Amino acid sequence: MARTARRFVTTFAAIAVLVGAPLAVNAHHAFSSEFDANRPFTIEGTVVKVEWVNPHSWIHVDVTKEDGTTESWMMEGGTPNTLLRRGISRTVLAVGSEVIVRGYQSKDPDCVPKCRGSGRDITFANGESLFMGSSGTGAPRDGSDPRER
Amino acid sequence: MMRTKTLLLTMMVVLIAAPATAEVPMKPWGKPSLQGNWDFKNATPMNRPERWKDKEFLTEEEVAEYQRGIVDRRAAAAANEGELREGLDGQADVDVGYNSGFLELATQLDGSLRTSLVVDPPNGRMPAMKASARERNKPYVDMQGVSPDGPEMRSLTDRCIIGFNNNPMRSGAYNNIMQVVQSESHVAIQVEMVNDHRVIPTDGSGSVAATTRFFKGFSTGTWKGDTFVVTTTNFKQFAAPSGTGDNVVFTERFTRLDEDTLQYEYTIDDPETYEAPFTVRQQFRRTDDNVYEYACHEANYSLPLVLRAARKLDEAGGSDENWMPSWHKRARQ
Amino acid sequence: MAKRRAISTTALCWLFLASTVLCGLAAAEEPDLNGLWQAVGTAHWNLEGGHAEKGPATIVLGALGAIPAGHSYVEGGTIPYTDEARAQREEYRSEWNLWDPVVKCFIPGFPRQTYMPLPFHIVQSEEKIFIAYEWGSNSRIIHLDRPGTRGELPSWMGYSVGRWEGDTLVVEVTDQMPDTWLDATGTWHSDQLKVTERYTPMGANHIEYEATIEDPQVFTRPWTIKMPLYRRMEEGARLLEYKCVPFAEDAMWSHLRRGADRTKPVLKNLY
Repeated sequence: MARTARRFVTTFAAIAVLVGAPLAVNAHHAFSSEFDANRPFTIEGTVVKVEWVNPHSWIHVDVTKEDGTTESWMMEGGTPNTLLRRGISRTVLAVGSEVIVRGYQSKDPDCVPKCRGSGRDITFANGESLFMGSSGTGAPRDGSDPRER
Repeated sequence: MMRTKTLLLTMMVVLIAAPATAEVPMKPWGKPSLQGNWDFKNATPMNRPERWKDKEFLTEEEVAEYQRGIVDRRAAAAANEGELREGLDGQADVDVGYNSGFLELATQLDGSLRTSLVVDPPNGRMPAMKASARERNKPYVDMQGVSPDGPEMRSLTDRCIIGFNNNPMRSGAYNNIMQVVQSESHVAIQVEMVNDHRVIPTDGSGSVAATTRFFKGFSTGTWKGDTFVVTTTNFKQFAAPSGTGDNVVFTERFTRLDEDTLQYEYTIDDPETYEAPFTVRQQFRRTDDNVYEYACHEANYSLPLVLRAARKLDEAGGSDENWMPSWHKRARQ
Repeated sequence: MAKRRAISTTALCWLFLASTVLCGLAAAEEPDLNGLWQAVGTAHWNLEGGHAEKGPATIVLGALGAIPAGHSYVEGGTIPYTDEARAQREEYRSEWNLWDPVVKCFIPGFPRQTYMPLPFHIVQSEEKIFIAYEWGSNSRIIHLDRPGTRGELPSWMGYSVGRWEGDTLVVEVTDQMPDTWLDATGTWHSDQLKVTERYTPMGANHIEYEATIEDPQVFTRPWTIKMPLYRRMEEGARLLEYKCVPFAEDAMWSHLRRGADRTKPVLKNLY
């Protein structure tokens, strides 16, 4: 599977510099309240479901472990309304896609009903990728600070 | 005889065939139409940047150059990414979410050639927030930085009670789109995120007691010439615009400029929060994109995920400093 | 050689006048449904009706917390579930508040959103009708200018396409999520649900509301409910706000509060 990933777009550092003002990035809520930076993971598996729900879509990936059992993961993504408008579903989020996902597992460590992760990068067999990580800049607006609305 | 006939025929043809010739689409009762789907994403900075300190407007060439810059820099960054970075960046990675595939970022300024969305004060920058107001808002931000006792310790947006780009409408990461349906007596405005709606009477009527509070506030509207002016008060705590308090008066002005442009202006007046009232103005673009349903609470998996994590941490006797992303901590220092 | 016929000036004048009048008439054709309306009755509790009885809240709300008596809104009296689907309905009904999506403040969908016991505001234009519902602060848009279209994704309010048939606004609602109920008695349905609503004015202050419900997976045939909608007549009556998420959170997440037993959720079917 090609490791050279053709990225969709850019890092947030570039965006923040361009716009020159606090950029409302990301989440309906802080990912940091859900996921644990001390629990990184890498999995390789198959997309089995994409939940087109708000506030965030969820991409479900099944991983076949060495012992033959299946471990089920779900990764949090963007609002489906945006995905629809950008035609992302047809090109990228296809059920059956083989993916490699690197990310961080939830602070709730139990995989009940499924392991939860923030997919920092999701790379598809066709070389395209979804980059959901960060260069750690910007002061995004996510609704938590009432001044920023 | 022939001349009269020709005249009559011409009149008929002109009257039957002529479209509404006004540049601004009008409703049958003689008011401008605000109706349609409106895209409010834009890259114009809220506050005038230092490098444009004394410049209220850019030239068309400067706007074009700025916009090319946005596109070029994004493309360059994308090209430069190349191989996936070997290492993960830990908390920085966790702090931020998805890339522009998931975002609806603007590549254009708002169309007015302005160097800031703030039009008053004249320096294009929001007035300072009073220290007392910061103190007043602090508990709402601080509570999100600790392990939550329950859902009330997460923000109103985390809980899917309100969206973060309505009241006022303001370009953010995504869902920067709204729809307006207008009758003679009411204007309905629905912003996509959380599908927050307001149905505003046009006759200036309506009032509620000071103790009656709504997440969307209480609005009434009147036409002043060709501008629909909406006055909103009575917001619930922490649902008010721009961190304002209980007595804010939030005034919006909607003016249809032409077929494809709606001018949105708002004034925030709260002497308990800001040193002076300020006014923001942006042009919204008409769009044929759909405004989709945003059923937020129905699949808000993250909320119980956060709460369960907090409970498991409690049981394990652990603690966690990262309930808020790292930039919030830096901003609060 | 054909005789050249000239249109007389008089005829032209009449033609002009006629076209103006016809244009005026055409514009005035549709009823005006604008305003604040509300269903009154017990459909939101029980479409099939019955006697008054205790409910899950009676223990704390006493006489304010029971379920009132009601008649049936269903033409024919009962809902024509298939035997299998009825069995599931009865299972839900036996502990309905633990399963009812509306207890969780989920969007009720149609027709239930129409007869939730709070008003709604119809804002009518030629191409679109927007209805804002106080219950849940939910809303829908009815497209009068998109005949024959369907939603791109399922949604909780579904996708509404409307047309006028004389004085009746006919709305076809498709693509609803399968997770809603039609009332508080476990009246579930599948993703095949199709609802056709009819709004017909009955005088200036009433609308006759009819909804035909079709779902071949759970019902043996289409069936119809009917009820009046009443204009809210109080001076200054306004659509207010009933954002119910804060009210549902206790029921949904109290088991996840600090100090609670997180293995004992109150409700079922949580995410």
